[in-house]
Amino acid sequence: MAAAAACGGEAAARPPLAFSPHDRRLLAVSGSDGRLRVWDTVGSRLRHEYVPSAHLSAACTCLAWAPPGGRPPPDKDGPQRKKRKSEATGVDKQLDILAIGTAVGSILLYSTVKGELQSKLDGGHDSRINCVRWHQDNCCLYSCSEDKHIVEWNTQTCKVKCKWKGDNSSVSSLCISPDGKMLLSAGRTIKLWDLETKEVYRHFTGHATSVSSLMFTTVKPMNENKAFDGITGLYFLSGAIHDRLLSVWQIRSDRKEKNAVMSFTVTDEPTFIDLTVSELKEEPVKLAVVCRDGQLHLFEHILNGYCKKPLTSNCTIQIATPGNDGDSTPKPVPILAAAFCTDKQSLLLVYGNTLQPIIEKVSLNTNESHICLIRDVQKVLALKTDDAVTKVKTPVVNSDTKVLVPGIPGHSAAVKTPSSGKEKKKSKRKPGETEDSIEERLGALDIDVSKVKTPGGLPQTDSFAVLLVQGLESNDEDILNKVLSTRKETLIKNTVARMPIHAVIPLLHELTKRLQGNPYSASQMVRWLKFVFTLHASYLSTLPDLIPQLGMLYQLMESRVKTLQKLSRLHGRLFLLVTQVAASETVQDVTEVNQTAKLVYEDESSEEEGSDDEMIADKDSDENWDEDEEKEEQSDEQDMTVEKEINGDSDLEPENESEEE
Amino acid sequence: MVAPAALRVVRCGGGALHGARAVFSVGARQAGRFLLCASGDFVKMYSVATEELVRLLRGHGDLVTGVQLAPHNHLQLYSSSLDGTIKLWDFTDGILIKTFTVGHQLLALYALPASEDSVFVIIPKRDTYQLVSVKLTKAAGQDMEAKELSVVLEGVDASPKCTAFGREVYSPLGDWLLSLLFKFSLRATNKKGGNNVFTCVACHPHEDCIATGHADGKIRLWRNFNHKKEYTFSTLHWHHDKVLDLAFSVEGTSLLSGGVESVLVQWHSGSDCKKDFLPRLGSAIEYVSISSDGTFYCTSHTDNRITIINSNLRFSKTIQGLIKARDIKTGLVVDPRTKALVLNGEPGHLQFYCLQSDKQLYSLDIVQQEYIHQAGLNQSDLARVAFSAQGKWLATVEEREETDLELQLKLWFFDEETQSFRLNTRISMPHEDHVTAMCFRDMDEMEDDSLMLVTTGRDCVFKVWVILEDTDPEGNWSCDFVGSYHGYQATNCCFSEDGSLLAVSFEETVTVWDSSTWDLKCTFCHPPGKIRTICFGRLTCSKYLIGATDHGFLCCWNLLSCALEWSAHLNVVVLQPDPLSEYIAAFSWLFKESSLFVFKPNEPRPICIQRKFCKERIQFAAFVPRDVPETIGSEKYLWLRRSQLFFLTDTQELMTVSTKSLEERLTLSSKQLAVEESLPVTPFSLLLGKHRQQQSQEDVDLGKILLHTPAHVLPSASFLCPIFINSLLVSKENKSVEEAPAEVEMESEGAEDDSDEENTVTEMKQEDIMPTESLGETTHKLSKSEEKELRKIRKTDYSWISVF
Repeated sequence: MAAAAACGGEAAARPPLAFSPHDRRLLAVSGSDGRLRVWDTVGSRLRHEYVPSAHLSAACTCLAWAPPGGRPPPDKDGPQRKKRKSEATGVDKQLDILAIGTAVGSILLYSTVKGELQSKLDGGHDSRINCVRWHQDNCCLYSCSEDKHIVEWNTQTCKVKCKWKGDNSSVSSLCISPDGKMLLSAGRTIKLWDLETKEVYRHFTGHATSVSSLMFTTVKPMNENKAFDGITGLYFLSGAIHDRLLSVWQIRSDRKEKNAVMSFTVTDEPTFIDLTVSELKEEPVKLAVVCRDGQLHLFEHILNGYCKKPLTSNCTIQIATPGNDGDSTPKPVPILAAAFCTDKQSLLLVYGNTLQPIIEKVSLNTNESHICLIRDVQKVLALKTDDAVTKVKTPVVNSDTKVLVPGIPGHSAAVKTPSSGKEKKKSKRKPGETEDSIEERLGALDIDVSKVKTPGGLPQTDSFAVLLVQGLESNDEDILNKVLSTRKETLIKNTVARMPIHAVIPLLHELTKRLQGNPYSASQMVRWLKFVFTLHASYLSTLPDLIPQLGMLYQLMESRVKTLQKLSRLHGRLFLLVTQVAASETVQDVTEVNQTAKLVYEDESSEEEGSDDEMIADKDSDENWDEDEEKEEQSDEQDMTVEKEINGDSDLEPENESEEE
Repeated sequence: MVAPAALRVVRCGGGALHGARAVFSVGARQAGRFLLCASGDFVKMYSVATEELVRLLRGHGDLVTGVQLAPHNHLQLYSSSLDGTIKLWDFTDGILIKTFTVGHQLLALYALPASEDSVFVIIPKRDTYQLVSVKLTKAAGQDMEAKELSVVLEGVDASPKCTAFGREVYSPLGDWLLSLLFKFSLRATNKKGGNNVFTCVACHPHEDCIATGHADGKIRLWRNFNHKKEYTFSTLHWHHDKVLDLAFSVEGTSLLSGGVESVLVQWHSGSDCKKDFLPRLGSAIEYVSISSDGTFYCTSHTDNRITIINSNLRFSKTIQGLIKARDIKTGLVVDPRTKALVLNGEPGHLQFYCLQSDKQLYSLDIVQQEYIHQAGLNQSDLARVAFSAQGKWLATVEEREETDLELQLKLWFFDEETQSFRLNTRISMPHEDHVTAMCFRDMDEMEDDSLMLVTTGRDCVFKVWVILEDTDPEGNWSCDFVGSYHGYQATNCCFSEDGSLLAVSFEETVTVWDSSTWDLKCTFCHPPGKIRTICFGRLTCSKYLIGATDHGFLCCWNLLSCALEWSAHLNVVVLQPDPLSEYIAAFSWLFKESSLFVFKPNEPRPICIQRKFCKERIQFAAFVPRDVPETIGSEKYLWLRRSQLFFLTDTQELMTVSTKSLEERLTLSSKQLAVEESLPVTPFSLLLGKHRQQQSQEDVDLGKILLHTPAHVLPSASFLCPIFINSLLVSKENKSVEEAPAEVEMESEGAEDDSDEENTVTEMKQEDIMPTESLGETTHKLSKSEEKELRKIRKTDYSWISVF
């Protein structure tokens, strides 16, 4: 009873698990529920599940994939096939048979392609099977058991080919030599058998506890000057239960040497070992050892004779949950197994639980001595419960993804190029500006207020202009909302006309910000913009840094106007005519309303000089700005963009060029 | 090709799985079941239990159009093909038994149990089609001529779904049935225009009943058609669009139908009110078939998938080939993470196709919008896909063309924690017109700021997108630069290997830009042709830029001297550089044949020329890196060492080239591990075997079955009745062996046939009164008629009484 419990406990600690040979495409896992599951390592999908008939009483103890073999070709259609130009890749190396050793001494051969039990090998053992190994060339199967025997099976006839006593105690592990002529077996001590004569060829001391894994690490001896007989000079590796040392042994020509050549030390009992067999002398053996504590240790070592000190791992890999939401502490996720991919560079990691392991391919970077991978196991599992009909995976779409629509900065580069280069500069500049301007601002505010107060003719618009300036200075949302929500055209016009020049740019920035917001408020802002441009165009054109200042606004309008190009062009022309006519008529009125003589004069002059060709062109482009919803005159601007982009610099605004003229 | 290992074109990715109706093989257990289906030039055999490909039957020279189990040997299979042959296979061993050459294109195949030595095929006859029966000679020999054709029906439809065979075919009724059916279709189309055109037909297995599917979504069940003109029909209507296929269940009690709605509908007992559905099958159902014992249904879908469904309409397994998208716009892209091939899948999805296992890995739902099956509805689909060098970023462009174009550029980040892609930035309308090309700057992603995405659009600009780190730890993407050239449309873009140069082609001109300052470095052109594709050389040839024009020139420019190095007159349609070597593959299309040229940019002489290796135009190509470099003997094919070349033809066949000769591949596959099936007898199977033996000795204990099984699982009473009555009768053999009053034998038998039913009735009355044993003693005292009666009773089997 106690033995059984121990057995069960051991099985739970080391779930029988086997990667398919060579390409590691499949992983067979026998879970604690006795079911055998075959997983695709690419995409970690469950291929299929098999429940052995006696899965509870005769639990699976070990697994081994048969060497891949395809199917016999259809041999009668030879001549026809030569005529054809193309031909299918077919299934020339299909993995099929999986050998399952059970706790009661029988071995099941399961066909993963057909999904059915192929045959049952019975009568060889009468106790728990500890290890099964396929011979790589002929389809022999070797098994060892608690009953101290090793059995060679003929899988074609499903009969015992040979059975011999392997050890005085139970035989726990087997390994076939690379040339296929020798067999390593281990209970506590390790024996090398000649497979033809079934005689012991060598003895090795082995471990204090029963050996759980045996593996050849080289296929060729390291010194080539001696003739190679297939076995002498090879290294192999062994690990035992409850033993934190993995030993490497060398098969030597002299019979006396029985001790380990070197050893690797790990943190806990090894549960799964995989290695890349080195074929060259210089090529290091890469070793991945999964321990009972769920850590993975990677070793890289060139095997070359003795080494007294136990070697420590080059790299340790652990997996933990992120532990940021819900449970606050990150929890470790045990690694179940690891295997090297065929390129020897990347590693397949199997982690999670045996019922639903997660298989992931990670590329190796052994420079770091300790790697902790953070994996959200819960989410990975949740994602994998996909619809079985179509294998559709849905990528995560969070609400916090950035959305770029036309008009938002960064959507089109014309803004971004100056800003990305200059944004940092700008941000540097800005604080400086604000710092030195606080006094000025205060002064300006006072002056403005006094100015506004002294005329007192139209209290409403006056107060609006003051309010607006105040709002802009203090960046007060409430005031700005109140002012900017005005719908009366005359009021807006007067407000814009009365506001001090230095507030124009901040106002434009504020308007730009609001234009990017909801479309309703945008239509409101357009009115403001319109008047800002009609009344302060001349001031704006004098600004040296107009491009960076207003580039974003330009971009925004550009993108919004694009839809109604021709109509807006027509509207723009008409509006231009109408405003020019109106302006020439109402020049006097404006001067009367405005108190600041300088400003009015400039305004006037610009409008009077409107007959001048240059200024008309200037006016044109300025007029376009305000008509962002309906009109845009783009023809000349587009030409300019093209010209300029031919030169390779789109840093310059079209606006700028026209103004520089 | 004089080289010992000639280059061969090898198909992969599976042909169309929905070429013909799939058939189930007959087997006792589920595990021993196979599904046989036509797939391109092959017949594929899948295991029903594991959905794995078990066997590939190759031999046909053209598309396989029909697959049918041989009616008298369930281990053999007939297949017909457009190459004009019918082949008989032993599919369990994958052996071709016989080839019958018919000499016409065969469009459909029907094999019927009633006709032992002939099969029915549909062949074209000028512009119509005819159904003919082909006599298959039984003579020995592998290759046969089957020239004995007899026309059964003229003017049938080409589609195999439009012809069905009823229960008795070679009887005159059967012939008439078929012709009548066709008359129906003519009449219907004439009367009401194209609205209710017949789309498919199925015949009831036992009754005189035909089900027809119509283009307006209705199913009509026709009966009584053997009375002239007095046929009746009932209508079943659920489908809103064309009914694509119909199938009766084995007993004929239910009817399965499928259409573009991707819902399998099961109609019970021919009434409109009782129906079951299996919805969300993914895509339109092309064919429906049922296994011979009725335990499995299978539906073939237009997206190259076969779904196996249990008889209780529970989804069971799916076999998925390379999804055939309506239009592949993304090209072939290799996912660096999984080494899977990525291309358009279902509408709005990206499919990841694993080339090693020749299976679909998964499909990624990029658009995340419900797909509505409706004609004339434009839905967004993926137009462009690009992966960054390590597969950390995925960029997708989706477009929807209504009155104006809707475009979205999405940038996905591969989240290692959850092992899935996560949307990082969504950019609507990145260009005002179609995005023509997109590429990442392929550099080591150790330094993240080098990552850069370039999109070119028909709106005459190309845009450069970079990551700006502000809030998100990964940063968000935003535009960095917009470039244009004389208002020409930007058509292609590509980064040099070190990422320092960007080449963008604008119609006839290739412009080269410095990727750090965005200065236009130089331009190249080769008038008069517009640039079709461009690419930079790699490794030692990184100073060259290669471009192909649509006027049939392949040009190589030297970036150092800014001069044309060489040019060749070649109509290149696809230009594909190998990411791991200097080699560049160019596919040309001339005189309806594709040729492959492999060259290094530094020498104008191609390394490998493979002329006219494919009759179809090559659409896209991709080099997929191999895990382990292959050992290639011939120097000519060294370019295949590091990567494998895959290409996609116009008909969406995925192909690759292989240097391995056929023999080599065969020897590889012939090394098979043969494991004999030897399962020990379990106690249960022993018991079962004993039981079966008893059953065969005694009569079927039907009464027991009838009374002990719940009523709702029993088939219809009309179906059970004859079986039940037959079970009550004593069979001939028993009679002659057991008791034999030989003189009255014949007579009584004749009487029995006449009064079958009366007999059972009387028997039912008498069973309680008469003890069976006393029967013998009482007979001689009765009259002759009574004696006769009693003999009959004696012949009947009373074992079922013991049940009560």
